[in-house]
Amino acid sequence: MTETILILLIILGILSLEFKDLLNAVICLAIFSLLCSLLFYYLHAPDVAIAEAAVGAGVATVIFVLTINKTRRKEEVEEEE
Amino acid sequence: MDIRVLTLDIVIFILMGISVLSMVRVVIGPTSEDRMIGLNLVLAQISAILVLIAVKYNRSIYLDVALVYAILGFIGILAIARHAASREDKE
Repeated sequence: MTETILILLIILGILSLEFKDLLNAVICLAIFSLLCSLLFYYLHAPDVAIAEAAVGAGVATVIFVLTINKTRRKEEVEEEE
Repeated sequence: MDIRVLTLDIVIFILMGISVLSMVRVVIGPTSEDRMIGLNLVLAQISAILVLIAVKYNRSIYLDVALVYAILGFIGILAIARHAASREDKE
């Protein structure tokens, strides 16, 4: 089980780096933190898992999405110029 | 081995397999909306896994992680959905 989670973590980390659309990268990071929390849980550290869940699923995702909402894509800026 | 622990282990492995299948949709999904639905599915299934592990270990503190995830994951999905809606309006 731990090995499965670690392999999935590597795949999702590489994917969130490679995606061109930032929203897709944020979704991949959300699943990354979800699996990270599950890994802490499996290693018998539920307090760390609670902290990771609160930061990863709640605060980080919301702040990233709000920031993407406030900014524009590079292509759109170049079109206007 | 206790039959109860064995059953819980089997169910946990089946749920992990199902969530890996849902992650395939997150990886290949053509649009962001597909990926969002995949995230929702994976979140629900992993919450179920967390509850089942809490039952397996007989500890109540393990249930709190699932509780926190069920509340905060909803907020994250809400933010992503609102962003997708405002992007549709711009186009």
